[in-house]
Amino acid sequence: MAASVADQRVIEFDVRTDEMLVNMGPQHPSTHGVLRLVLRTDGEVVSEVEPHLGYLHRCAEKIGENLTPRQWVPYTDRMDYLAGMNMNLGWALCVEKLLDHNLSDKAKHLRVIIAEMGRIASHLVGMGAYGLDLGTFSPFLYAFREREKILDLFEEACGARLTYSYLTPGGATADLPEGWLDKCSAFLDQFEPVIQEYHALLTTNSIFIKRTANIGVMDAEMVTDYGCTGPVLRGSGVDHDLRRDGEEIYTEMYENYAFEVVVQKDGHYPRDHTYPPVPKEAVLGDCWHRFYVRMLEVVQAIDLVRQAIERYRSADGDWGIPIKLTQKLPKGEVYLETEAPRGQMGFYLVSDGNSIPRRVRARSSCFCNLSVTSDVCRGALLADVPAIVGSLDVVMGEIDR
Amino acid sequence: MTLAVDAIAWHQFFFVMFALLTCGFAVGVLFSGNIVRMAFYLVLSLASSAGLFFLAGAEFVGAMQLMIYVGGTLVLLIFGVMLTAQDRFISLKTPAGEWVLSLIIGGTLLALLLAAAFRYEGWQQAELGDTTPTSSQADTTARLGLSLVGVRPDKLDDSPRKAGMSGYLFPFIIVSVHLLVVLVGAAYMARAKKRTTTTAR
Amino acid sequence: MQTTLVDLLTSAGLPDPLAHVIRALVPCVLIIHLVAVGALVFIWLERKVSGRIQDRLGPTRVGGRFGWLQTLADGIKLIAKEDITPGEADAMLFRIAPYVSFAASFAAWLAMPFAVGWSGLDMNVAVFFVLAVLGLEVFGVILAGYASGSKWSLFGAMREAAQVVSYEVPLGLCVVIPVFICGTMNLTTIGEMQRGFATNWLIFHDPFTFCVFWVYITCGVASVNRAPFDLAEAESELVAGFHTEYSGLRWSFFFMAEYGSMLLVSALAVILFLGAWHGPIPIFSIGLGWTDAGGILGYLASLAGCANLILKSSLGVIVMIWVRWTLPRLRIDQVMTTCLKYCVPLASFCFLGALAWQAWIPNVTPASLPAPFGIDRAAIRESWVTRAGGPHATVSDAQLTPQTASPVPTTLATQSVPDRNIPVAGSTAPIGREETP
Repeated sequence: MAASVADQRVIEFDVRTDEMLVNMGPQHPSTHGVLRLVLRTDGEVVSEVEPHLGYLHRCAEKIGENLTPRQWVPYTDRMDYLAGMNMNLGWALCVEKLLDHNLSDKAKHLRVIIAEMGRIASHLVGMGAYGLDLGTFSPFLYAFREREKILDLFEEACGARLTYSYLTPGGATADLPEGWLDKCSAFLDQFEPVIQEYHALLTTNSIFIKRTANIGVMDAEMVTDYGCTGPVLRGSGVDHDLRRDGEEIYTEMYENYAFEVVVQKDGHYPRDHTYPPVPKEAVLGDCWHRFYVRMLEVVQAIDLVRQAIERYRSADGDWGIPIKLTQKLPKGEVYLETEAPRGQMGFYLVSDGNSIPRRVRARSSCFCNLSVTSDVCRGALLADVPAIVGSLDVVMGEIDR
Repeated sequence: MTLAVDAIAWHQFFFVMFALLTCGFAVGVLFSGNIVRMAFYLVLSLASSAGLFFLAGAEFVGAMQLMIYVGGTLVLLIFGVMLTAQDRFISLKTPAGEWVLSLIIGGTLLALLLAAAFRYEGWQQAELGDTTPTSSQADTTARLGLSLVGVRPDKLDDSPRKAGMSGYLFPFIIVSVHLLVVLVGAAYMARAKKRTTTTAR
Repeated sequence: MQTTLVDLLTSAGLPDPLAHVIRALVPCVLIIHLVAVGALVFIWLERKVSGRIQDRLGPTRVGGRFGWLQTLADGIKLIAKEDITPGEADAMLFRIAPYVSFAASFAAWLAMPFAVGWSGLDMNVAVFFVLAVLGLEVFGVILAGYASGSKWSLFGAMREAAQVVSYEVPLGLCVVIPVFICGTMNLTTIGEMQRGFATNWLIFHDPFTFCVFWVYITCGVASVNRAPFDLAEAESELVAGFHTEYSGLRWSFFFMAEYGSMLLVSALAVILFLGAWHGPIPIFSIGLGWTDAGGILGYLASLAGCANLILKSSLGVIVMIWVRWTLPRLRIDQVMTTCLKYCVPLASFCFLGALAWQAWIPNVTPASLPAPFGIDRAAIRESWVTRAGGPHATVSDAQLTPQTASPVPTTLATQSVPDRNIPVAGSTAPIGREETP
């Protein structure tokens, strides 16, 4: 209906009604934690959306200026708590960049395994919770069933299921335990066919397509203007992935890996998997494409983990002994972005030569992704607001820090 | 046993009960200040009068009353109230002048109705003629249906040429077309035809 | 049942009015138990079925291995909860709304037959009554949404009102098709017209009834607010919709009303399309011959029929549960589109199709098969109508009797010649003629 209006700022009213100001959140089932959206609605049509943030602010960055880099690792877990491993990785690489620390090949492959498994686990939640936003509960539990298995693997590797603090500056807190790789590949073999279930329940479900196709359309220009990253950016057809286009200290982890950036090029997604076809109704940059990109990234992550396991088995060197807890940092400043599941997560560190950094800042991917809401939701229906916000897949812990 | 009353007593008991409910809630509509409560009382009043129809064995009319008045019209009424009310829980106060005016008009109408009703002979008799309660299985519907398409039980003596014309179908269609016109008109009136530009960013 | 129970009680020495009161209370108590206990069972079932669908176990502890007392425990919890009325609310309407919903859902059951003669009220226009009363359930929801004094509740109420008002149209159209095939609105008669093998079920009457059955299912799910049409309580959009502000027992009344209506809609589908109290294979009516035997055997046959009906209706409820835990929710405009662009035209098309089928090829149906597989519906209807109208022949019956050879308009008479089922005057046995002297 209104979502297809050419200029969404102009809404033609058929029947004169009163506007209503409603508060969606911070206690609302579909605001992914504590996001608060103030909606100005005219009946079911939303004419204005204003996101309010800060309900989960825990001064993580300020705390980082009172702790050494290794002590601060647990705080990165609690940023994007659904992808703690990827947060650890971003911070570890940032510190290593400052220290000019070189890792062995084995440690790099270990990081690829862990980071891509973390991406799968995170996208599973993103997918399941998106189903929840659209009113179907079962895919959520199907997703969590598989995520639990990944968490079991993580638990075996580092002892924690949510806040891992596993990848630390210098490497990882421990090597992967005996037999872990076999369990991991067994999981991947079991998991890959399950993706078809998700496609059946969501991606190709005609109600799902009706709810997501041509909803919340963002073109490439708009997403780049807002600084959106990750699946939101690629869902709009922008070919950009830091695993390929990032800084060398990050891309060298993925050197010689066979992978293609999941993005629609010439009307096609990279074809090395039996994908369901893109429905006619879907427009590049809509909720359906953002969701689909996530699903394909899961498939791609499986492939990457398989390659990494092979390489890890044959690689030499250690698994990366962490730096000392009170290691002195060289004077200088450093900024590094990595491709976290939800977008480009950046860490900024200024050191004055002590072991405790002078400044620590994080660049949140979800913050930029969320900033499009007020633009995209204008003129949408009330039911589209959870659909759009859900397709951005925000985690408030990362935004508020 | 002393309880031994004739079975008909139940019939009268329920008649009085439904009648009182109908009137009581009608008075409630008058004296309530809140517009949604008024609608609610109106529902109960109409539903009670549907009960009267059921009691009289006119089940089709009773169900019709529930379906159209209680179900359809009042849902639309509430819709209208909720769409048009500027404030929540709006309350209406009737000025004294309007009370007097409405009393005069209402009283005249009531007198007219009563006069017309008591002209019917059955009403003047002290006791009801046929006190057997009509069974719920009397096939009132079939006769109504036949009447609609032109076979009216009370007009069977008409000449065959005229017989088909005496049904209720034509008035029914006229009324429904009229309603349709009213609906279209209401939708047209409600259209605002304005373009609103909300400020961007 | 009506006469026998009253007669039984009066012959036992009870005064007549008391006998009538008892006669009135028995079905009321039975039906209220059906709705309330049914809700208990179906809530448990919903949790178990959804658990299995979602690869988990569902309740397992309360009351033994299958957690079958879970709902009872929940009920006790709900009773113990504080009954909160928000300060912003219109207290009187807020408190009364759940009961309005529940009363509507319960009252519709009064006219539902469970077997021949087994109904609270054997009503001549039962189908119409059920639809009319079922439509009243929306009223409680609207009142709840408005009186809560919450914006989300108001949204839920608006959606519910729009949705139910729209879906009553196709639902009515779907129901009309079995009604005109059978020529009666009496649910007992409609049920009896499907006795025998499953070939006599109205869903297999012609392709159009088969088609319209699925439209009915869609509209039925929508009219009782179940997923994917549960917009009034869409939890991901409206928190909990119209019952956001409710707690404790009042909230559970909405729940009972929902499950009562779910069972009601499926029971109506079973009576109208799926052979009512007759199983696919007529063990009792043809195999054992108990149905017409009367006495205790007839009673047993009726009991089996009642169980049959409830079983089939429960299957319908399970289908609704299955759908709910599989599909995402539609958007409000899509719900309306589904109704106005798909359900209404489809139902209308099936209506016309079934009408044409009845008019021109009424014999090309499974019902016209030889005896045990086929059925002469017209004869059954006539026997039922005369039975029902017999003792209560009124003045207008005499007026309806033809004085001349054929008072019926010729147009109508010619129309109805090839047709033995459409109940217009001029068919072989017009309604209410036999009993006139």
